[in-house]
Amino acid sequence: MFSNGIFFAIVGASIATALAGFGSAKGVGGAAQASMGVLSEDSSKFGKMLVLTLLPGTQGLYGFIVGFLILVNCGVLGGSIPTVMQGLAYLGASLAIGIGGMVSGFAQGRASVSGIAMSAKDDRNFSKAMVSVTLVEIYALLAFIVSLLVVISVPAIKI
Amino acid sequence: MKMESVRIVALREDRKRLLEHLQDSALIQVKKRDRSENGFSKVDMTSQMQVFERNVSLTETSLKILDEYVREKKGLLDSFKGRREIDPDEIGVIASNAGEVMTVCNRIISLNKKLTDNAAEKVRINTTLAQLEAWKNLDIPLNTQDTKSTAVFIGSLPSAYTEASLKERIAEENPKLEFESELVFSQNNITCFVLFAPISQKTMAEDVLRTLGFSKPMSPTSHTPKQKAERLNKQLIKIEAENDECIKEIISLADRREEIKTTQDYFRIRADKYNVINELDHTRHVFVINGYIPEEDSEKLRALCERVATCYVEFADAGDDAPVKLKNNRFSKPAQNILTMYAAPSKGDIDPTPILAFFFYFFFGMMFSDAGYGFLMVVVIGIVLKIFKPDERMRNNLKLFQYCGVSTMIWGLIFGSIFGDAPAALYNYFTGANVKMTEILPWPTLDPQKDALMLMIISIAFGLVHILVGMGCKFYICFKEKDYKAAFFDTGLWMLMLTGFAVLGVGMATTQTVMMIGAGIAIVSAVGLVLTQGRDKKGFGKVIGGLASLYDVTSYISDLLSYSRLLALGLTTGVMAQVFNMLSTMFGRSVVGLIFMIVIMLVGHAINIGLNALGSYVHTMRLQYVEMFSKFYEGGGEEFEPFSLNSKYIKIQEDK
Repeated sequence: MFSNGIFFAIVGASIATALAGFGSAKGVGGAAQASMGVLSEDSSKFGKMLVLTLLPGTQGLYGFIVGFLILVNCGVLGGSIPTVMQGLAYLGASLAIGIGGMVSGFAQGRASVSGIAMSAKDDRNFSKAMVSVTLVEIYALLAFIVSLLVVISVPAIKI
Repeated sequence: MKMESVRIVALREDRKRLLEHLQDSALIQVKKRDRSENGFSKVDMTSQMQVFERNVSLTETSLKILDEYVREKKGLLDSFKGRREIDPDEIGVIASNAGEVMTVCNRIISLNKKLTDNAAEKVRINTTLAQLEAWKNLDIPLNTQDTKSTAVFIGSLPSAYTEASLKERIAEENPKLEFESELVFSQNNITCFVLFAPISQKTMAEDVLRTLGFSKPMSPTSHTPKQKAERLNKQLIKIEAENDECIKEIISLADRREEIKTTQDYFRIRADKYNVINELDHTRHVFVINGYIPEEDSEKLRALCERVATCYVEFADAGDDAPVKLKNNRFSKPAQNILTMYAAPSKGDIDPTPILAFFFYFFFGMMFSDAGYGFLMVVVIGIVLKIFKPDERMRNNLKLFQYCGVSTMIWGLIFGSIFGDAPAALYNYFTGANVKMTEILPWPTLDPQKDALMLMIISIAFGLVHILVGMGCKFYICFKEKDYKAAFFDTGLWMLMLTGFAVLGVGMATTQTVMMIGAGIAIVSAVGLVLTQGRDKKGFGKVIGGLASLYDVTSYISDLLSYSRLLALGLTTGVMAQVFNMLSTMFGRSVVGLIFMIVIMLVGHAINIGLNALGSYVHTMRLQYVEMFSKFYEGGGEEFEPFSLNSKYIKIQEDK
């Protein structure tokens, strides 16, 4: 039915970018709402609030990078047309950052909102809030690394 | 740095001079105590202090008011600016002007109060005007009284009537009532009207109107509504004029802003001084200052005190609850803020700033890893430092990023990334060739995309070193406190075990013998752990405790894996930069394409720098706080805060 795997590869790129982006968008959106509430009281906290708001934004970035690398490797932006199996491999790889990024984006967004509330009360809590929010990030990073390692090595696999 | 406690006994007549010099020199921190020693009493300076503090808050309020009407011109980079330096002689001038400046502040505040009062008045007038609107066709005053023969009712009913339907409705209610009515205004649910009835039928008319829901107007006056409205409108105009004048005056006072700031600092400094006097023990002739001082400054303090006052200075061991002052060389000083953001070291801690500084620069560079970005950081921060001369705290923060920038540059060169692959991309764009970064750069590079696995192993290896250094600190602390059991069994064995695993890992990649050695080390240390970790427990618990401690290995593994973020963030910067380079060269070689290229490159790299510098900063910090500090650092000490000129806007130059 399929003579090559480019369709699957593109679906993979979309999944990685869209799902991870979804997670980040929701996370950053919630955090931004909370931080704007704080800023309406005290606009001098903008820098700190910005940092806490942006923290859940990285998942989308990871998803985008995986998606982009798939496009670079699979013949859309360079590289060679993948076989069906290679296309499926891209699709499989994108699930890690897609789902992992999405869920960790939600979770990190919630943590960010709490962090914002915490550092709104006392500036000295900021670094603690920041580190606590970053704890969530590792799971997005792990998902990213898995996706990335697969995507990078697929062109070399003969399947 | 080692602290000493200090006790200065001096004559009361020298108090003012001595305190001023101590505040200028910022050498000691005054001990706060609840009770004074026997035979001493406290002097209550609270009332003076309150005056100063009130002045500070008055100036703050007036500055805020000025800001509302005349925005202070502030450049984007002005937040880096240090406090204004003033000559020590200027203080006298500031002090003599303080009274006049305070009058200005009071004037600003009273003008502002007038403005808010006027705003409230305006609202009130507007409400009355709105109410009068319905009555504007009435040509008698709203509070017109009954005459000898006629009762007058002026008011409204809560539904809409026409002239005829109103008469009909009233007649319906009581046919006997003789009346004359005049409709003034009628709308959806309100009808304003005047009703005349013979005085003899006044109660009857009242009854009728009550059943219909009659109510009198809210603000009856002795003028006709039209006159009243005119008067109110005149009042409004007057208020507007008054407001204009107030605002004009406030604006004219805006150029006193600098003076107000200076005066605020002057009062702040004085309030601090009186606050300290509150803490001192006094007798009739002498007073005592108890405080802490870094050991190296003690001779300086003695010389200072003896120069300005008749006094006796004595030093002693600082004790356990002494505050901590960190002292670091130029390399590690910028990282001090990172440490104090976590917690100042407690008595038992060593000062980990040098280690922290090294790994901070190192890891930040590895994550941000771009020679171009690093170069920008170094140069831009250099310029900012030169031009704005920021205060110490800000300067340290900027220096931190400058050093990180150097490390970023080095890692960028190792990874072969200069604004991503900008040199290659631009070369290809203009010549149409198809070269890669690796072909341009004359030195061998480690491409994070091609050698990701390799780089991940390297990252985790760095992580292992980082953790081992942290544990080494713990080992050192325990050793210093002569807690040899904790040093060797709790820390040493784990360090050995991790080393064993590392050797094992190397062995897997190389030869079997090395692998065997590694496994041997790991097994020996595991046995050691099982034997020693239950040592505080009794009987069977010894075995369980020992075995259970092996479970900690999972936490070490997760710590180590956490360092894979070094790879992930390093990759992110590089790939993002490449993406922007690729997008920017996509529009082809034409004038429009060139413009697109320049715009996309500038914007794209700016975004990339913003996002990834933030990410690198946050994640480097996390690696220090969570992975390393958890191994040895207690924190919870109190920072040394000397009694000093704690000002916000001005800085007094030191005597040269």
